[in-house]
Amino acid sequence: MPLRIIARLDVKPPHVVKPVHFECLRKIGSPTDLALKYYNQGADEILYIDIVSSLYQRPILLDQICETSKEIYIPFAAGGGVKTIKDFENLLHHGVDKVVINTFALQQDAQIIKKAAEIFGSQAVVVHIVAKKWKDWWECYSDCGRIRSGKDAHDWAKYVEQLGAGEILVSSVDHDGRKRGFDIDLISRIVENAKIPVIAASGAGSLEHIGEMVLMANPDAVAVGSLLHCNTETISTIKQYLYDNGVPVAL
Amino acid sequence: MISHVGLLNYGNSGNTYNVQKALELAGARVMMIRDKTDLDSVDRIVLPGVGCFKDAMDNLTGIKSDLIDHIRKKPTLGICLGMQILSKIGYEFGETHGLDFIDAEVKKMEVKCKVPHLGWGTLSFVKDSPILDGITEKDNFYFMHSYEVVNYTEVIALTNYCDHKFVSVVQKGEIYGVQFHPEKSRRAGIKILENFFNP
Repeated sequence: MPLRIIARLDVKPPHVVKPVHFECLRKIGSPTDLALKYYNQGADEILYIDIVSSLYQRPILLDQICETSKEIYIPFAAGGGVKTIKDFENLLHHGVDKVVINTFALQQDAQIIKKAAEIFGSQAVVVHIVAKKWKDWWECYSDCGRIRSGKDAHDWAKYVEQLGAGEILVSSVDHDGRKRGFDIDLISRIVENAKIPVIAASGAGSLEHIGEMVLMANPDAVAVGSLLHCNTETISTIKQYLYDNGVPVAL
Repeated sequence: MISHVGLLNYGNSGNTYNVQKALELAGARVMMIRDKTDLDSVDRIVLPGVGCFKDAMDNLTGIKSDLIDHIRKKPTLGICLGMQILSKIGYEFGETHGLDFIDAEVKKMEVKCKVPHLGWGTLSFVKDSPILDGITEKDNFYFMHSYEVVNYTEVIALTNYCDHKFVSVVQKGEIYGVQFHPEKSRRAGIKILENFFNP
């Protein structure tokens, strides 16, 4: 099965931004332009996360998400501030194939995962785990990596799978946007225990970082942001590198 | 004459939006089918679908017999779950009768790898079909399913997942089914849609 390479857009409407540690944002461009750019580069999926929706406690901006999905003919996942079944429905009727959820499920009511999976199917529910490493455990964070939950990332991963999540997206508060490599321990432990696909994110700063992480953690997909936004690499150079190193990708 | 493609709107998935967009890119005039009277105005039928076999058939209760009549007369394309419900019987959440156009059963995939099968796959051609015009065995298509159509007679193409070959394209007369999502499969997917309504 080819490893999926996903272009990740962290959006602070109306711009795609490049967060470092989920802080100090820098404007990169419009989500619509970037989605199309990465689609044309050969991205397997586009991932759109409104990173301030939960934090600012405002509703999801559907129009911009719909606009972003318009010209891309690959799977499109979106989230940020999802709180209700109605939010799922609205997103799924605006060009979104998979809805990404973190804060509400983590801090308020995990049962929303179960309800959404029953209504829309597991494939439509992606749970985003944003973890921070402590001495001997990883803690799940919400609200764009700012608020602690006290929940263990690996226990939480197992639990959301039982509730019916279709995929897990793993980000790291410590590694995000720093371009110094992934939290391989975090990712590999989640992959080992998961029966559902795992998307590894946070930390790709070079092709070697991706190659090393894939080799050691064996995720089903990799989400890349900064590395693409800075034009250091393109989706095609990433795929070619992986292919040359024996990792199956869809070329 | 411009052909009108009727897109059946059923279930909760919202997948119709993306299928409509892709059909339009392929050049089709799309009409949403919400009840049985809409069926009269279309020349071709597309059954999209993400979700579960039983719910899909439950949702079709009011339109089922008319839909079957129209599928007998009009070229039809089933996508993913839309392909599955063209089968005789499905085993997702109990045994459910399908639209019974393809002599097939829909069963849970039994493989050593993760299910749902989620990601890109290629086709191995079994038989020629106009639906695969211009498509090669190198083209990638996007799959997202836990169940598969078990059929031996109408197979056009197979796809390999985890050393298991499953049926990914079927054709019986002018009825076609694809297990992947052409609307999510770049140019190759759009080409499949073009082939369907513009043979």
